[in-house]
Amino acid sequence: MPSQIIEAARGDGRAVLSEVEAKAVLAEAGVPVTPTRLAHDVDEAVVIADELGYPVVLKIDADAITHKSDSGGVELDLAGADAVRAAHQRIMAAAHGTAPEAEVRGVSVQPMANPGTEVIIGMTRDPQFGPVLMFGLGGVLVEVLKDVAFRVVPLQQRDAAEMIREIQGFPVLEGYRNMPPADLAALEKILMQLSSFAEDHPEVTELDLNPILAYGDGAVAVDARIVLAE
Amino acid sequence: MSDLYANLQRALNPSTIAVVGDKQSLGFMWLNSLKTFTGHLYSVQVDEREIAGIEALGVANYASLAEIPERLDYVICSVPRQIAPHIVKDCIASGVGGVTLFTSGFAETGEPEAIALQDQIESLARGAGLALIGPNCLGLHIPKLGVRFNVDQPHGMAGSVGFVSQSGTHGMNFSLTGAANGVYCSKLVSFGNGVVLEAADYLDYFVEDDETAVIGLYIEGVRDGPRFARTLRSVAARKPVVIWKGGQTAAGTRATRSHTASLAADQAIWESLVRQAGAVSVDHLDEMIDVIKAVLFTKPAQGQRVGLMAMTGGQSVALTDAFAKAGWEVPRLSDESYAKLGEFFNVIGGSFQNPLDMAGTIREDPTNLDRLLDIMNRDPNIDAVAMEISATFAAHRWERKPQELEQLLDSLQRFGKRSMKPLVVVLHPAHVESLALGARMKLQARNIATFPSFGRAANALTKAQIARSAAH
Repeated sequence: MPSQIIEAARGDGRAVLSEVEAKAVLAEAGVPVTPTRLAHDVDEAVVIADELGYPVVLKIDADAITHKSDSGGVELDLAGADAVRAAHQRIMAAAHGTAPEAEVRGVSVQPMANPGTEVIIGMTRDPQFGPVLMFGLGGVLVEVLKDVAFRVVPLQQRDAAEMIREIQGFPVLEGYRNMPPADLAALEKILMQLSSFAEDHPEVTELDLNPILAYGDGAVAVDARIVLAE
Repeated sequence: MSDLYANLQRALNPSTIAVVGDKQSLGFMWLNSLKTFTGHLYSVQVDEREIAGIEALGVANYASLAEIPERLDYVICSVPRQIAPHIVKDCIASGVGGVTLFTSGFAETGEPEAIALQDQIESLARGAGLALIGPNCLGLHIPKLGVRFNVDQPHGMAGSVGFVSQSGTHGMNFSLTGAANGVYCSKLVSFGNGVVLEAADYLDYFVEDDETAVIGLYIEGVRDGPRFARTLRSVAARKPVVIWKGGQTAAGTRATRSHTASLAADQAIWESLVRQAGAVSVDHLDEMIDVIKAVLFTKPAQGQRVGLMAMTGGQSVALTDAFAKAGWEVPRLSDESYAKLGEFFNVIGGSFQNPLDMAGTIREDPTNLDRLLDIMNRDPNIDAVAMEISATFAAHRWERKPQELEQLLDSLQRFGKRSMKPLVVVLHPAHVESLALGARMKLQARNIATFPSFGRAANALTKAQIARSAAH
């Protein structure tokens, strides 16, 4: 089933969807994501924040700025309209300072999610085997620690269950210190949804959901990245 | 069934074979290897300088395949690559089932003319449904029919391992080293460049082949990845599959824009695929043979708890460490077992816990070994048994009193018949290796799964479990 959002981005000649677009595409596929909308200016940001409910998170929305948190492009835990306004100003100033040439669409606004266990689920296309899904404990260290598991699409239910349990850090998902056991069924469901998504959307070549926050009941993707075929 | 598949079946069960282009400078390698063939063997060679040597081997020589008076099931083509397309055409015209192109120098060279030549023979073969094996390979080894590509390969008997190899050397070494370990092939295919038939095709063949109980595969890469993934999954669900993936891919330099793509290294994907399919991975030839040996010669364990039996305290510790490391639980035995052990076990210089440190107990009375094995068989806490027999201490004694070794072997064989639990034996090569070798040969002759180290025994048993668990 074609996605209008993807088609529009391709029409613009873009290969990477914005966070807002990526989450909308995933929401269409039934994957739980934090509701995220684009605000073109500070007033719109406040309107959206009022609608979504505080506290909120603001992030710069500009193709050229990829590691947003590294460059002052992310503002967390904004408790009210004043905080949103101040944060918006800081984000725009930072964007202007670090990437003055960047075309900035605005900022994305989403509710601040409760703390949970961070996992990463992703998809890539292997030259030999086609679409492959990945699961691991998330966070900034994932590319260093490489504690991840892969399965080739299409997944069977038991593949989703096994790949989660295969990672070395699995005991964290079983409940560790203050964190309750994670809702593994919710994570398995996301894996199965992405398996179908990969088959339905050959135009998507790479996908990261990082982090997904896993709770005792449910899981939600807080950030998403989708890369399209050139 | 497609023509191609029917023709492959003919080639793998041949009554007639022809070798094209064998020569003195190769030592008539093909004709000599095929002396053991149970069917009719022919030669095609137009070079007059070679014909006398061929006829001296007692093989009828012809100027072309067309002139051979019988329909040919299998042909081996050993001609220079420019001539290969002509031979392929001749095979098609003569109704040959399958042809191995030993000839190399095709796409593996990377040269455009060579690739074109390979494409040509591929389309010829595909168009006619000719089961073309290779090019650049050694082809088929069928011990039961005496079909060989090396004079040291076994013949006149049938094994139950179907081995598929992308490399000729590894195929050869599997058949030879396997045989030295009591592991024999039903059929073996060295498939080289695999232009018409590749790994998935041979997996499809072996899963249906009644002569094959376990499948081994040496692979470096596949052309149709999704088909291979599907095939592997369905085959591993029916028969145990052991995979040795060779060739570390050069680190990719393709640009990636996600964590997932950056982490998805070729080897990681392969290992995941093997796991996903229910097959098991090994890293080298010895491990391939070890795991297949365990699949063939042990019964499946119903759980992960192992009972350990060793001749000395030091060996007990080493045995325990190796099995624990390979994922086995080494539990306490049942109270009933301990009560029985207490009645006869010699605890001076020995002990029983799990592991059993038993040399003194057995030396007192060799029938105690049967008692110990019986206790292990009956103990509800134990799913598998591993025993080390210290050739280091016993080698000379077995030389002087061979009946001691025979008694030991009889006890092990009795256990194998009575018990549903797997048994593995560890026999280290001793300082007098020839004596240890003799002992090993005797164990093998009785189909007792024997390994030269604790680690290899433990690993083999673990991986055999994995390979078997997907296959019902």
